[in-house]
Amino acid sequence: MKKAVSSKIKKVSNLKYDQQLAESPFEWWGPSPDEARRVMSAKSKGMHDKRASLKEAVARYVKDGINIGIGGFVNTRVPVAAVHEVIRHGARNLTLSFQSNSICAELLAGAMILDPDRVSIKRVELAWWGYEVIGIAPLLRYLTSKGMIQLDDYTNYGMSARFKAAAMGIPFVPTRDHGGSDMELVNRGRMTSCPFTGKNVYLVPACHPDVALIHVTAADMYGNCRIFGAHCTCPEITMAAAHSIVTTEKIIPNENIRTYPNLTEIPYAAVDALIEQPYGAYPGASYGFHWFDMDHIKMFRSVCDAFRKTGKKDDLKKYYDEYIFGCETYDDFLEKISFKTLRKLRDLDGGQPIILS
Amino acid sequence: MANYNTMELMICTAARELEDGASVGVGTGAPCAAAMLAQKAHSPNLVILFEAGGAAPLIPEMPISVGDSRTTWKALMASSMPEIMETACRGMLDYTFLGGAQIDMYGNLNSTRIGPDHQKPKVRFPGSGGANDFASFCWRMMVMTPQDPKRFTERCSYITTPGWLEGGDSRAKSGLPLGAGPYKIITNMAVMDFEPESKRMRIIAINPGYSEKDVRDNCGFELLKADKLVDNAPPTEEELRILRDEIDPYRYVIGR
Repeated sequence: MKKAVSSKIKKVSNLKYDQQLAESPFEWWGPSPDEARRVMSAKSKGMHDKRASLKEAVARYVKDGINIGIGGFVNTRVPVAAVHEVIRHGARNLTLSFQSNSICAELLAGAMILDPDRVSIKRVELAWWGYEVIGIAPLLRYLTSKGMIQLDDYTNYGMSARFKAAAMGIPFVPTRDHGGSDMELVNRGRMTSCPFTGKNVYLVPACHPDVALIHVTAADMYGNCRIFGAHCTCPEITMAAAHSIVTTEKIIPNENIRTYPNLTEIPYAAVDALIEQPYGAYPGASYGFHWFDMDHIKMFRSVCDAFRKTGKKDDLKKYYDEYIFGCETYDDFLEKISFKTLRKLRDLDGGQPIILS
Repeated sequence: MANYNTMELMICTAARELEDGASVGVGTGAPCAAAMLAQKAHSPNLVILFEAGGAAPLIPEMPISVGDSRTTWKALMASSMPEIMETACRGMLDYTFLGGAQIDMYGNLNSTRIGPDHQKPKVRFPGSGGANDFASFCWRMMVMTPQDPKRFTERCSYITTPGWLEGGDSRAKSGLPLGAGPYKIITNMAVMDFEPESKRMRIIAINPGYSEKDVRDNCGFELLKADKLVDNAPPTEEELRILRDEIDPYRYVIGR
């Protein structure tokens, strides 16, 4: 049902793909817009104390076969604490959705390589998966070269627009990109004629994750969230998801939220579970609190790259045993990182001003 | 003449393209260095935007990520990815710089994968990220890349980012915003633009130390040539000083 209208991409493309598959009827990889609306209607709209432990939150919302939306951008304000807990809890047959991600996606991929009966990724809807200046993502390369995961490629705006469409409660959004790229041939978007101008316009379907994992700067106990630094696509992903698990550097009084209501980027109603988890994005960065731990990121990446090159899982397993399975909570993990390291990361952030009052 | 390496030359060449009062969407690495150099050397009112949300920061030192806190340091706005990309889509971004594993004669770029089988790529790269967005939305897309015959290829294995597609008016007919497209290709050996009618890549300037033959030998397709080839000017002492002392003191990008 795809491609009645198209750009000139077919004339320049070199890609071999299953045309039947590319043109098969559209399928939601998470709740449909109507299913997502029904989930919203079942929620109480009053303000409730959303505080929970990560263990409780993940056990309540993370199930086999769901679509997990990952917030942040590459290694900025990424939900690493929540991902550790998902790995400990286990979840199979997952769909992941994000714009650009790095260590969260690689951590889940590594868990799948070590024990697919505990964690497995079926498919990923994404724009980008890598380590920016450090290099490519070794486990992404490994899994794709073996055909072990299905990827549905969009652009960064495309994925952001898909979450935004879901947050708007509409089934798709028109974009002025994707056209003329191979994504037009194989992703689940669709080129069509604009009903007003008659020109080509590319439609991307809404993306409703079952569960969003988000890390924010500060929030009150009801889940009203402030985000400082780049917002990435965090408000949209949280509002797009049927349920959300939000970790925050700090829980602040509701009175503070009411003092500066303009600073609320995510409203309480979009948050289902809230966990105060300082350093919850570590070894990623969290604006106003700490910078990236490049040494830890490089260490994990080199362990993954060694596995990709040699096929030997020992060091990879050692990392997970030491830092994830050997820890009951994320605080246990942080205890393995030295205070001097955490202090250095705090100093490296440059003291960016944030408002907690 | 000052000593410099090819990365420094490429960054200086790119920086000279960015005039005062223009806006540029950049990623990390060489593009960010070029934008910072332009701002410090000759375009104080150059507006730099980062796709994770940073708009017009006063960048203290080289960010290592597009979401790095340095991309919103003393910025005018810390916004979001939708907001930055929608700003680009409504025509507010003049320039962007991209790279890629492959580029063809029309400036089409691959940063997704090598190998023909869609389900099982031989080599997978990170993917589009914001590359396709910026190239579709920004008025003038430039590429900074080292040049070799594998990278400058007859046909890309996958088109992540459309350039002029198959030339002529094929891009205009594809639904992409009119008037935007590939502008210049800056390599270690030369500077190329696109011939206005055919939209094929053509050599316009040769870098110091290289010949037209070097440029052709390191390209997997036939390059057109401007009526008059010029010699690309080497970096000035002042450009190198700013680049080395102020922008990249740890030489993350420019190397040693």
